[in-house]
Amino acid sequence: MQYKDYYKIMGLSRTASQDEIKRAYRKLARKYHPDVSKEKDAEAKFKELGEAYEVLKDPQKRAAYDRLGSNWKAGEDFRPPPNWDEGFEFKGGGFSGGDAGAFSDFFEQLFGRAGFHPSGREQHGSHMRGQDSHAKIYIDLEDSIRGSTRNISLSTPEMDAQGYVKVKHRSLNIKIPKGIKPGQHIRLSGQGGLGSGGGKAGDLLLEIAFNSHPLYRVSETDIYLDLPVTPWEAALGAKIKVPTPEGSVDLKIPANSRQGSKLRLKGRGLPGKTPGDFFVVLQIALPPANTERAKAIYRTMQQELDFNPRLPLGV
Amino acid sequence: MNSRDLLPVHTGTVIEEDSLTLEQLCHACGVHADWVVSLVEESIIEPEGKEIQVWRFSGACLVRVRSALRLQHDLGVNLAGIALALDLMEELENLRAQLKIAGHD
Repeated sequence: MQYKDYYKIMGLSRTASQDEIKRAYRKLARKYHPDVSKEKDAEAKFKELGEAYEVLKDPQKRAAYDRLGSNWKAGEDFRPPPNWDEGFEFKGGGFSGGDAGAFSDFFEQLFGRAGFHPSGREQHGSHMRGQDSHAKIYIDLEDSIRGSTRNISLSTPEMDAQGYVKVKHRSLNIKIPKGIKPGQHIRLSGQGGLGSGGGKAGDLLLEIAFNSHPLYRVSETDIYLDLPVTPWEAALGAKIKVPTPEGSVDLKIPANSRQGSKLRLKGRGLPGKTPGDFFVVLQIALPPANTERAKAIYRTMQQELDFNPRLPLGV
Repeated sequence: MNSRDLLPVHTGTVIEEDSLTLEQLCHACGVHADWVVSLVEESIIEPEGKEIQVWRFSGACLVRVRSALRLQHDLGVNLAGIALALDLMEELENLRAQLKIAGHD
């Protein structure tokens, strides 16, 4: 088991006041909160922070932790000395709230484990339906276009008969309905938390998100594609082949199209009652002037065309 | 044959727009109806339907209620603060999505 330096996690000295601890927590919690933060390891950092605060905010636990001494290094192999907690009383186990499944072995060794008592949650009667559980799953655009079956792995904290929280892993095959959009939910009846006293199991609610695609971007039910075109295709108009998730189609590019022009293929977005659209965004690619012939053509344009793209800038 | 091919395939139901009842929403998020009512009063979520008996919530409401719960629980944010934070987060998400569409990601 590894020693955890709760002061270091919170960026505090061992002499920090309770007020300083609270302020440091608030600041770091905002920084690493999974809803707010875009940092990659935000969730892990937030859990670690929650654990550190759980100990340091409570003068009893903090004093006991301090008594372990300050010579430990974070990550060092750790065994609590005998009677280290003599004279301290940690009421009702270690937790005063928070996510009981989330704390480290180090924490549990020191402060014990407790049953899962989510604060402010509905709890009534013994004959109770299980909690609904939630997960976010990432699918590919093609899964929504055609419909598919995906295998997903879930880790769910569950309470065992002794009231300990255990993380249970399981794997499910899920049917992905055709036309599902990012942000939509799929409900799987009876796949959530177990009920108590003969109550029904809760549901599993899956929030759908899309993996980023090498070609396409999805917004609501619309699909976007950046399409490189030559200057003469954009200028003179052309009929060109365009890839779509359902195979390539012919697209007519109108003459005098500009960089960034959007062309719409109606109804070729995500399928559904009102299917989305497919948008082609033109990206004009310049041929390199890497041969004498190419340079000569550019020079001809320079001489023949009266074109100043900086006219709107007044120069 | 892969072992996962032996698992049964579960077919769920898609939560359509504005289809969740108050009770379903409360159960899905593990919160009291009173708290959801206070979120509606603060305009943090907006159900379809005038009377509480006919309120219907969208999947997006579900996401907002769960975020609101975490903000309150983890950061001690009050309802007005939750409303502000969620609106700003949504705006940020929209701007990021627009950047992505414009190819600046």
